[in-house]
Amino acid sequence: MFFHIVLERNMQLHPRHFGRNLRENLVAKLMKDVEGTCSGQHGFVVAITGIENIGKGLIRDGTGFVTFPVKYQCVVFRPFKGEILEAVVTMVNKMGFFAEAGPVQIFVSNHLIPDDMEFQSGDMPNYTTSDGSVKIQKDSEVRLKIIGTRVDATEIFCIGTIKDDFLGVINDPATA
Amino acid sequence: MADEDYNDLDMGYEDEPPEPEIEEGAEEDVENINNDDLPGDTIGAEDKEEQAQVERPRKTSKFMTKYERARILGTRALQISMNAPVMVELEGETDPLEIAMKELRERKIPFTIRRYLPDGSYEDWGVDELIVEDSWKRQVGGD
Repeated sequence: MFFHIVLERNMQLHPRHFGRNLRENLVAKLMKDVEGTCSGQHGFVVAITGIENIGKGLIRDGTGFVTFPVKYQCVVFRPFKGEILEAVVTMVNKMGFFAEAGPVQIFVSNHLIPDDMEFQSGDMPNYTTSDGSVKIQKDSEVRLKIIGTRVDATEIFCIGTIKDDFLGVINDPATA
Repeated sequence: MADEDYNDLDMGYEDEPPEPEIEEGAEEDVENINNDDLPGDTIGAEDKEEQAQVERPRKTSKFMTKYERARILGTRALQISMNAPVMVELEGETDPLEIAMKELRERKIPFTIRRYLPDGSYEDWGVDELIVEDSWKRQVGGD
């Protein structure tokens, strides 16, 4: 799920970035530092949409650097248990398959793939129904449900299932 | 010899300020370069905080102590040595400390001094508000 929230961060700014462009430099550094990172609490920071306020700076003794508390609005993406997501399959093997929904990796074990789908090895490993009408291979798009998340301080990893109504392949690159 | 000279100056200095100087050393420098460069929203924010602070009048000396002067010159010289933009016109100076002294003389150092008092409260003084006296007892500022 996506959220638009306000976060705060203390930014250390090098003296060479002072001057009339201080704010611009600070915001540029903030974007470089924060966008694309992942925190266990908030999820992936997708984009910074605005700056709420930049507090008074504090000079660090000995280094000449200045620390500014910056409040910024950003879009974060955090997967939840039970959430339905659409994802692109990145790897298929006999244990199941991996899919990616934006920055998050999701593993679907073969226990959580409908029983009528069988693993087919070969140079394009895939899961296929017995009549061959549905095929999951690399680059397929699947709709899946998240049944478990592992949240570390800097990483989120999910376990998904397609063994439920309305889940499974939504667009097959081989037929499209 | 040099030591005696120094002490003499010191004594003269201590007699000079009308109010007793309570504070020393424990100042915190707060950066507000924004104020000099972007008059506008930052100043607004600053003013609000200033008012919160200024509800009771500041009571510490309006003279910059020699410790504050030393720390400001040191910090500012360090920043200048790290390529911080210089706030004054240079006339061939290259030494960061010399440039910092010139900035202080022209009161263009974009710092605020946070003077902590023994009870933990503090007062913020802009460097441009304080009277600076150099080791030759030449005074700058205070108007």
